[in-house]
Amino acid sequence: MRFFKRSLFTLLSMAGLLLLVFFLSRMTGDPSYLFLPLDASPADREAFSRLHGFDDPIYLQFGRYVVDLLHLDFGRSLSQQRSAMDIALEAFPHTLKLASTALAIAFAGAILCGSLAARKPGGVVDRLISVFSLTGASTPDFWVAIILVLIFAVSLGWLPTSGVGGPAYWVLPLFVLALRPFGLLGQVVRGSMIGALSSPYVKTAYAKGASQTKIVFVHALRNSMLPVITVAGDLAANLLNGAVIVETVFGWPGIGRLMIDAIMQRDFAVIQASILVTACAILILNILLDIAYVVLDPRVRHA
Amino acid sequence: MLNGKTYLAAGISGLLAVAGIAPQALAANETVTVVLPEEPPSLEPCESKHSSVGRVLIQNITEPLTVIDPKTGVVKPELATKWEQTAPDTWRFHLREGVTFSDGAPFDAKAVAASIDRLQRGDMTCNTKQQTLGGVDITTTVVSDYVVDFKTNKPIPIFPTMMTVVQMSSPNMALEGASRKPIGTGPYVLTAWNAGTDITVERRDDYWGEKPAVSGARYVWRSESALRAAMVATGEADLTPIISVADADNPETDLAYPNGETTRLRISTNVPPLDDKRVRLALNLAIDREGLKVLFGAEAKLAEQLVGPNVNGFNPDIKPFPYDPEKARQLLAEAKADGVPVDKAITIIGRNEIYVNAGEALEAMQAMWSEVGLNTQIRMFDTGNWLRYQNRPFPEPDMANLHQDQHDNLLGDATFTAFNKYDSDGVNSAVYDKRVDDLIAEAEPATGETRTKAFQEAFRTLHDDVVADIYMYHMIGYTRVNPRLDWRPSLATNSEIDLSEIRFRASE
Repeated sequence: MRFFKRSLFTLLSMAGLLLLVFFLSRMTGDPSYLFLPLDASPADREAFSRLHGFDDPIYLQFGRYVVDLLHLDFGRSLSQQRSAMDIALEAFPHTLKLASTALAIAFAGAILCGSLAARKPGGVVDRLISVFSLTGASTPDFWVAIILVLIFAVSLGWLPTSGVGGPAYWVLPLFVLALRPFGLLGQVVRGSMIGALSSPYVKTAYAKGASQTKIVFVHALRNSMLPVITVAGDLAANLLNGAVIVETVFGWPGIGRLMIDAIMQRDFAVIQASILVTACAILILNILLDIAYVVLDPRVRHA
Repeated sequence: MLNGKTYLAAGISGLLAVAGIAPQALAANETVTVVLPEEPPSLEPCESKHSSVGRVLIQNITEPLTVIDPKTGVVKPELATKWEQTAPDTWRFHLREGVTFSDGAPFDAKAVAASIDRLQRGDMTCNTKQQTLGGVDITTTVVSDYVVDFKTNKPIPIFPTMMTVVQMSSPNMALEGASRKPIGTGPYVLTAWNAGTDITVERRDDYWGEKPAVSGARYVWRSESALRAAMVATGEADLTPIISVADADNPETDLAYPNGETTRLRISTNVPPLDDKRVRLALNLAIDREGLKVLFGAEAKLAEQLVGPNVNGFNPDIKPFPYDPEKARQLLAEAKADGVPVDKAITIIGRNEIYVNAGEALEAMQAMWSEVGLNTQIRMFDTGNWLRYQNRPFPEPDMANLHQDQHDNLLGDATFTAFNKYDSDGVNSAVYDKRVDDLIAEAEPATGETRTKAFQEAFRTLHDDVVADIYMYHMIGYTRVNPRLDWRPSLATNSEIDLSEIRFRASE
């Protein structure tokens, strides 16, 4: 029953999202202004609208969209004149690879640094880690990206400026993308761990003679993970929507850049297909998060 | 002596190299990497008017029947060897023999007819047809294998000029949609398009013309000017056709060139207070355009008409308006005394990034107009919404406005500017002046000196008598070029990068 309710709610959310995206994207303006030359006549614009069905009432356009969706026809891109879903599915793996790797690095780094900081709140290590994580969480991506390119690619010549290729091409985008999640997660881990380390079961563990490493990384960490997972899930959803700035600066052909370009070009089918793909990805992410909660917290498991 | 930093640098570099992850350096070969501002949406020959498409396609993969010499503006043979007008509405073209498309299909009169059919198909994907040929319908007749007649629905005295934009494509290309696999007669053939990443082309061995020095090219794209400049600086790329003036900081690699663009603010000349010539003149006199060059580069030239010297009809005798705020104040005072509502708010319709520093220029001009007592407000739009105000029917027709605009005319004839921008019936026009209409009507069907003089007089009238625009600059573009290349940008660089014009310097 619970599964049924949850599935129904998910389906309703998806339907609401598609409805919203369909109508909002059409409120951005008439694509004929962007796809026809500056000097195109009103007759040309009318012919363009007629050809693509934009002259029909909006409810008819929506009905056609829904019927096409049921036939797994996601429409054609106006600018590229090929399947919008093909375009979105070409871009999404690039974002998925970059986002998942960046988040894994940020997650691992945040757990390590947050735990170390929590061992002695107010100590030198804690202060250093706090300064670094807060700086990471509050520095603009765009600025960091350009500065890193100028230092590591232009001045030192160690790394490529941008593009897609071997591992060297991943270093700068990953660093920029992981910086903010690392900063935010680091602070969450630190706060959560400070609470956990002052719990009675930790004192019991100390009394039983367990090592500090075991107490921090085994006993306390597992109990501190629920808020960390929640924040990480939120960050992951943001990254799956596309790391627009990183993708733009580093020429990474991901879905964030695709969506921005599609919005600017009024390429409705691509906007809709891209959002559908990311919505499905976020849906899967939420399922994974639910599983993680169940694994980490017996109270959830038995509820 | 080696210090710790050196060891660290050497260590990291060594590790990267051992791991095979050192930055991709260009091999010392005959290939080049070109970094463009954006990925082409397609490589459809019919869409070659889009600069992102044209820079890959034109003269590299596909070629037209005729070309314009960017230095002289003269129409020259390309795939056609000669042409003549056999009737007022008919042109006969003689085609080059021995030319083949990269798929092996022969280039002949039938192939030309197929290319024209592609141009005129009804699915509205042909930007070239709409933008350049407008309402011209072409009927093609195959006279013989290498002779073809074009009959138009109205006399077109500059038909050979129009054919410079029509790319010849293989009759074997699919007709549906916009092609991502163009097949042309050019010296290069498309070998790969990794969507989102790069496009590569290779030199053809069976090309009809002279063998180019460049054996192949890889096109990549980055939207950030600073990044494009950095890619050339590091050797990751050899050439980028456009960087901002702020990034053009290396005189050895950064080349300025007149890019054919002219900037202006179009005045809504029929709405008070802009329907008063004194107000329009005051708007021009209040702008310190020499001072504003800091935003566009010192090489930018003050504009006095919407076409540059490359265009037939350009009037060299028009003088740009001087910077004279005192005179502007005086004109506004006179207009006010006559009841003109000079205090009424004037809206400046701007477009984000229409050109480099577009927003900054509007803010500076707004401050200058405020100095002389004019009340202006800026509304910045994205391209889509800005375009709504570009074309008739204008939204908010009663709004006194100045519309930020940029126009290029690379085809070399004022007909591609005058009617749409200035005729009372022009789709982009905010001018309603019978003298101008008559001059354009006189020029369009004429040839030779009559045509030139009529357009010149139209531009003089627009500047001196009507004051149709706030004229800004004949713009300058900046390219960054790797020193290993012997190549200079030209007027055509805005729309094409002819790889066969690139040579390698002897030291390489």
